[in-house]
Amino acid sequence: MTQAEIKLCSLLLQEHFGEIVEKIGVRLIRTGSQPLRVIAHDTGTSLDQVKKALCVLAQHNLVSYQVHKRGVVEYEAQCSRVLRMLRYPRYIYTTKTLYSDTGELIVEELLLNGKLTMSAVVKKVADRLTETMEDGKTMDYAEVSNTFVRLADTHFVQRCPSVPTTENSDPGPPPPAPTLVINEKDMYLVPKLSLIGKGKRRRSSDEDAAGEPKAKRPKYTTDNKEPIPDDGIYWQANLDRFHQHFRDQAIVSAVANRMDQTSSEIVRTMLRMSEITTSSSAPFTQPLSSNEIFRSLPVGYNISKQVLDQYLTLLADDPLEFVGKSGDSGGGMYVINLHKALASLATATLESVVQERFGSRCARIFRLVLEKKHIEQKQVEDFAMIPAKEAKDMLYKMLSENFMSLQEIPKTPDHAPSRTFYLYTVNILSAARMLLHRCYKSIANLIERRQFETKENKRLLEKSQRVEAIIASMQATGAEEAQLQEIEEMITAPERQQLETLKRNVNKLDASEIQVDETIFLLESYIECTMKRQ
Amino acid sequence: MASRGGGRGRGRGQLTFNVEAVGIGKGDALPPPTLQPSPLFPPLEFRPVPLPSGEEGEYVLALKQELRGAMRQLPYFIRPAVPKRDVERYSDKYQMSGPIDNAIDWNPDWRRLPRELKIRVRKLQKERITILLPKRPPKTTEDKEETIQKLEKEEEVTSEEDEEKEEEEEKEEEEEEEYDEEEHEEETDYIMSYFDNGEDFGGDSDDNMDEAIY
Repeated sequence: MTQAEIKLCSLLLQEHFGEIVEKIGVRLIRTGSQPLRVIAHDTGTSLDQVKKALCVLAQHNLVSYQVHKRGVVEYEAQCSRVLRMLRYPRYIYTTKTLYSDTGELIVEELLLNGKLTMSAVVKKVADRLTETMEDGKTMDYAEVSNTFVRLADTHFVQRCPSVPTTENSDPGPPPPAPTLVINEKDMYLVPKLSLIGKGKRRRSSDEDAAGEPKAKRPKYTTDNKEPIPDDGIYWQANLDRFHQHFRDQAIVSAVANRMDQTSSEIVRTMLRMSEITTSSSAPFTQPLSSNEIFRSLPVGYNISKQVLDQYLTLLADDPLEFVGKSGDSGGGMYVINLHKALASLATATLESVVQERFGSRCARIFRLVLEKKHIEQKQVEDFAMIPAKEAKDMLYKMLSENFMSLQEIPKTPDHAPSRTFYLYTVNILSAARMLLHRCYKSIANLIERRQFETKENKRLLEKSQRVEAIIASMQATGAEEAQLQEIEEMITAPERQQLETLKRNVNKLDASEIQVDETIFLLESYIECTMKRQ
Repeated sequence: MASRGGGRGRGRGQLTFNVEAVGIGKGDALPPPTLQPSPLFPPLEFRPVPLPSGEEGEYVLALKQELRGAMRQLPYFIRPAVPKRDVERYSDKYQMSGPIDNAIDWNPDWRRLPRELKIRVRKLQKERITILLPKRPPKTTEDKEETIQKLEKEEEVTSEEDEEKEEEEEKEEEEEEEYDEEEHEEETDYIMSYFDNGEDFGGDSDDNMDEAIY
């Protein structure tokens, strides 16, 4: 794990889970797999604190454990999973676009709690939806269950590995840690539950009445007494499926930008048809015949078969090679080259970064070197039609930032520098890695700056929160306009200005984080698929 | 080595490679050497592209900020323990500090986790046992046999009851360790936030105060 990644993980853990979990998590990421006592000793925290932190991390699938010989349990942290926490808002928003508010809340609850049973999710979501509905209306459990089943069918949520049920009792003592297994077939199997009920609205009057007697009698909540029908079956959000969806979205929008709306719809149809049949790491989708595509086009599209064939031929001939033709049966068999598409997207990202950072002339040189693969300095000046001095300057700038590299080709066996060719080349994989590293650093900087800004203005923020609370309570008890005005004036005009600036800055920093995370997703997908290929 | 020293001596400014191949012509001034690390905030030549605005961008932004706030309120956010102050105060008993004995606020499925992660709460158990013992009726010896028999029967019944109670409570405590804190808390009729020990008040403006603070 690079230092930048570790720093980013540390910031994310601290923001979402507190300092203790951050200390333990970073320790595990840095040093790999370790047993409990070693962690406690090395970090200097008490054993109880370490246990608490490990429980939290395990609940959120950030840490896994393994039983080694002599019964020692070792814990290992997944750094890449911690970095996914940046993407939670994007996952939730995507579910909202696909399955509306119910789906959005289901995925949100699963992400916030790590893993939950289906009944727990349904109850929580129904309660939350009932809060937002008008008085008197409640959310039925059945509707939430339906959405949950749909999410499971399209693989957006999956079952967690569970404790294997042993029929014969163990002769010896139970193992120190269970080994969790999951069967491929069962991963999306929804248990048959009959969840009947409606969401409960949290009424403030109920709380006041029940407040006193509750304090006296011991808190045995009734839920614990009833046996939970799907006990032990936990669900988690399937991040790989979301990533597949993002990748498809990126490809479709790339085609739409390059060609037109119709071709992007065709590509979207092809991707939708191969969602379940193709695994997420395959280099290209299963071949689809033109007839099949014609039948599966969305209902509103009235293009004739011939027009579809023309579009497909155009897509297949395009130099970007998103779509390839793999045969002629069935009116032409077409595949989508997923790896090539990701490579093109990564290259486009690199080009755009060079353009925004160094200018359009540099971008021209960059594209030239990409096209020619290896090119000498003299030739760069000629092909790009840029004066020698500027070209030289730009080449060195890009070289020093590691967007380009030099390839030496010696003429003589003694590698004498005066008799060696020096060729400029772009190695996309290493440039992508370098850019990814910079992205991690950028996000870490953004988070730090945001925390700094919030800390600087902490006193002001607290004051404004208190004033808002006072105003809210006064409005609830029915105060006059004049009194409200007076309270509002407790915050002076320059303070209001300061608050406005703070809010604007924090919003900008947050939005930038989201943007950088999109770039990270593209680069990571490209690097992952290239590594798999090799 | 002799050759290296010699190389340094003759022909100052000669580099090992052919300068022209790289593109520095004869007589061109080389850029000055850099004597300090690059500046922290180098001036930007080109302004960055504006961030995406619009419904989607704003919704995702609001969602992100909400999530951040929500995660701080969940029981998974572990706050470091409040440092012990110099003197024990009466209100400490009633202030809402973290869960007793570092137990967790939420209930994970212990079957899925290694056994060593389960934190056992022992202190309250001991308290319970000490409270129960004096409740046992002391074995008295009396003259009248009837009363002896009656008492013996009662003793058996009550000692059985007591034993059962103890076993039950031990079992309950093993099963519901995480609820101990709530039972401990609920010894008072008052809301927890009632006990403001007033230490934060009056500490700010202590300069030039000649009168006593009431």
